[in-house]
Amino acid sequence: MNFIAKQMDILHHKADWFTHIVKLSPRFLLALLIIPVLGGLIAVILPAFGWAPALNQYTIGLEGFRALWQTPGLSTMMLLSVATGLVSTLLAFVMTLLILAAFFNTAWLDYIQRILSPILVIPHAAAAIAIGFIIAPSGMLSRLISPWLSGWELSPAGIFPHDPWGISIILGLTLKELPFLLLMALGILAQPEFGKKLREQHKVALNLGYYPMTAFFKVILPNLYPLLRLPILAVLAYASASVEMPLILGPNTPPTLAVAIMHWFNDVDLTLRIKASAGALLQLILTGCILVLWLAGETAIKYSFRDKLTNGKRAYNSAFWQKTTYILTILVISFILLALIGLIMWSVAGFWRFPSVIPEQFVLSHFQSASVQMVNPLFNTLTIGIISTIFSILLTLLCLESEQLNSKPISNFTSLIIYLPLLVPSIAFLFGLVWLQQLANNSSAYISVVFSHVLFVLPYVFLSLAASYRRLDRRFSHVAASLGAKPFKVFLQIKLPQLFAPILIATALGLAISFGQYLPTLLVGGGRIATITTEAVTLANGASRRTSAVYAIIQMALPLIGFILAWLLPKLFYKSAHR
Amino acid sequence: MLSSTDWQQLMRNSFFCVAFCFPLTLSLTISFNSIASTELTNRWQHIESLGKNQDVYFYAWGGDPQINAYIQWAGQQVKTLYNINLHHVKLTDTSEAVSRVLAEKSANNHSQGSVDLVWINGANFATMSEHALLLKQWANKLPNFQYTDPENNPAVNFDFGIPTQGMEAPWGQAALTFYYDNLSTQNPPSTLSELLSWSAKNTGRFSYPKPPDFLGLSFLKYVLVILHQKSATELKSQLYTPVTKQNKALILNPLWSFLNKLHPVLWRNGKHFPQSGEQMRRLVDDTELSLAFTFSAPTVPAAVKRFDLPQSIRSYAMSDGSLSNTHFVAIPYNATHQASAQIVANFLLSPIAQAHKQKQNVWGDSSVLIQSTLDDQQQELFKVQLPHPSALPFNSIKRTLSEPHPDWVKAIIEGWQTRYGISL
Repeated sequence: MNFIAKQMDILHHKADWFTHIVKLSPRFLLALLIIPVLGGLIAVILPAFGWAPALNQYTIGLEGFRALWQTPGLSTMMLLSVATGLVSTLLAFVMTLLILAAFFNTAWLDYIQRILSPILVIPHAAAAIAIGFIIAPSGMLSRLISPWLSGWELSPAGIFPHDPWGISIILGLTLKELPFLLLMALGILAQPEFGKKLREQHKVALNLGYYPMTAFFKVILPNLYPLLRLPILAVLAYASASVEMPLILGPNTPPTLAVAIMHWFNDVDLTLRIKASAGALLQLILTGCILVLWLAGETAIKYSFRDKLTNGKRAYNSAFWQKTTYILTILVISFILLALIGLIMWSVAGFWRFPSVIPEQFVLSHFQSASVQMVNPLFNTLTIGIISTIFSILLTLLCLESEQLNSKPISNFTSLIIYLPLLVPSIAFLFGLVWLQQLANNSSAYISVVFSHVLFVLPYVFLSLAASYRRLDRRFSHVAASLGAKPFKVFLQIKLPQLFAPILIATALGLAISFGQYLPTLLVGGGRIATITTEAVTLANGASRRTSAVYAIIQMALPLIGFILAWLLPKLFYKSAHR
Repeated sequence: MLSSTDWQQLMRNSFFCVAFCFPLTLSLTISFNSIASTELTNRWQHIESLGKNQDVYFYAWGGDPQINAYIQWAGQQVKTLYNINLHHVKLTDTSEAVSRVLAEKSANNHSQGSVDLVWINGANFATMSEHALLLKQWANKLPNFQYTDPENNPAVNFDFGIPTQGMEAPWGQAALTFYYDNLSTQNPPSTLSELLSWSAKNTGRFSYPKPPDFLGLSFLKYVLVILHQKSATELKSQLYTPVTKQNKALILNPLWSFLNKLHPVLWRNGKHFPQSGEQMRRLVDDTELSLAFTFSAPTVPAAVKRFDLPQSIRSYAMSDGSLSNTHFVAIPYNATHQASAQIVANFLLSPIAQAHKQKQNVWGDSSVLIQSTLDDQQQELFKVQLPHPSALPFNSIKRTLSEPHPDWVKAIIEGWQTRYGISL
């Protein structure tokens, strides 16, 4: 062991080009994330306090905040944002736990994952439309009982979507967040060493007479949660400040705070921009409070349930919870299937009058007319996705490698910064970023968009790769190094092959994230760069449900292909390796 | 790109041209008009030579597939004619373009702007013109501008009552028209007062997009203008002048008392409103609404042909008047490709482009050209085909109502927001 440590030491001092790059990469990563996010924030904070050269406003003051307080319904807006964000995240989290607990170590978990993961890649706007079609007064549920049961010949009056309490938003966000959290948890549990250890502990608990669900909550959860915390916080931050879902499913008298801010920013009355900036700052504080609230709740639960972990009780009404979970899972899956079927039917629907359950005729014209206009957006979507993902993967790998070369994990500060773009509401810094971009006189919209996508792709890629990378068995590298392999060779020939599957998953995830970006593409690209997603949202708020359905299906298909490849390739690869 | 030296060169050329032509015209006794026209021709030749073979970024609302397809067609035409690459930047709201130009101005980007051409009118134009964000005195010098007959048709030089000063070239005309589902209702309202009684009878079957949506505001302006039709002339005329403290309540109170009666019988009891005209159209397709309206009548038959509305839809115009306005294209002061943008604007104004745009199956947007200025061949382009059953019957619009002063828009939005913006 001593000998190996010495070898490593020598390698540290003998800095070849690879080691150089690796050592610089965390600093580069920091700069890449801090400058745009903080810069964007500053460019929003200054106007919030009245300093806006664009409007010839140079007096520092609280005028923007005064205007903000006087906005009618501001408290309702804030309440809506907080409530929808918190409740949807809590629901998604609890359901993730219930599903994991009820189906842990069974084949069902795989099936559920396979059904839910396509939802992960549906852009929010498309999902919102699909959900709206189910719950609307003229929607699928109402069509299924009309007119034979309800007697409705015309669509009845109803409150969903757009109900004033935000229930539709909560439903939409929960259904979108559930697959994400579940997939993240499964990703953590899929790590060879860690997952195996947990599965074995679970089995031991079962042998000791614990009910499966109890065993999950007492044995798995305490180990799993710390790794799941960041994804949950990211979901929470996103949900409290998202724009697409509340825009399509939420009320508008008043809307959520984030939607109101977007309207103010886009208002013809340019002085509203001061108020919008103040609002963005308020959103930032609000999101921060929600995150703190979650962390406080987490601590409270940890302390109040600490003793219960070791009290030896084997079951807590487990049969009831097991059944409830089955029913909930079936409900969620049938709801999602109904939404998907609805989406597919709309994409090929001719006339489809209420209360028919299926369209009067099926046509392909929506696909045909869309395909003509889709060539350029499709090209942009793919190239931007591929460039930003490859860049993010490379940088992530280099940073993780630097961790191993330095034999210590990157600092807490750095790991916090990596998630900065996920934790800071994008509505708060993107407008500032556009202003900065103008200042830098950067005229290439394409490069700017790729760069802005990296901001959002990088954290997810890092999140998905870090755990696997850190759990690599270092003995392989040590042996290779002691045989005289340079760090680059070790990296390329020892580490990367072991990481083949996680890298593919991270790539698919990165692509999916990039494909789904709306606000960054629109704002940073100045609208010049059309992607499938920007087109879909433009159409979703406008024209036809049929065309939107076509775009939503294409949007789903693209990342799905990525995930299928990421799932198939390692199997093929390992199969050939086994022969 | 036209730098300032280019402009000076251009001005000098025109000056030399005038100076050179003047004695010649005297001897040939050609009228002053033709000197001006020679000057304009030379100016145009210069712009054509500058603007060819370049890109033009056209910022235009992109929510309608038909309009997008028309812009795509125009792009192919200017590509063949001038080798100009027209890029349609699809906006969800035109104000996005306004804020972009403003952001560029604040960042001291005065000549490399990303917006070359923008589709605009009304309040967005008022804002851009107020902040001096637009290029001046070019639209009235476009060769095809003559076909709009500006001397006898002043509408093309005013945008919601504000003089355009050559900052925008007219592109099309629109009027507020209504459509209904004749399987749900056989007798749609034809006046504003009938609208109220019809809504009371068919509770929840009508609504309007939430202000500040353009179409929703247009509906409110229609209501406002109709409510003041019988007002004293002195009061009525204030609709077309800026808002003052004195006239604000006087003008707007009838509107609020009308809405107080209308809202309880609207869709969702007037507690939630559609976000846009397109969402309203979708609600008609869902049979939630039975009556709706649009500023672009041809989109109705087009939507039926795309299956986006049922075949039972019929269009009509209100008998007490239709709010109407002109929409334009403008060039920001800092546009990178100013000359190329003018070439595109001129093409959009050409008889070929305007006739193609007016076709029901293309876009159906009314032409801004005056038929008497066109020759026979050009007039031939505008011949119509058989209309679709859901299309607005020919000559339905009996009375047009002019847009109130844009100042009223802000007053309406503010008043609406405080009264109806919060339903809880």
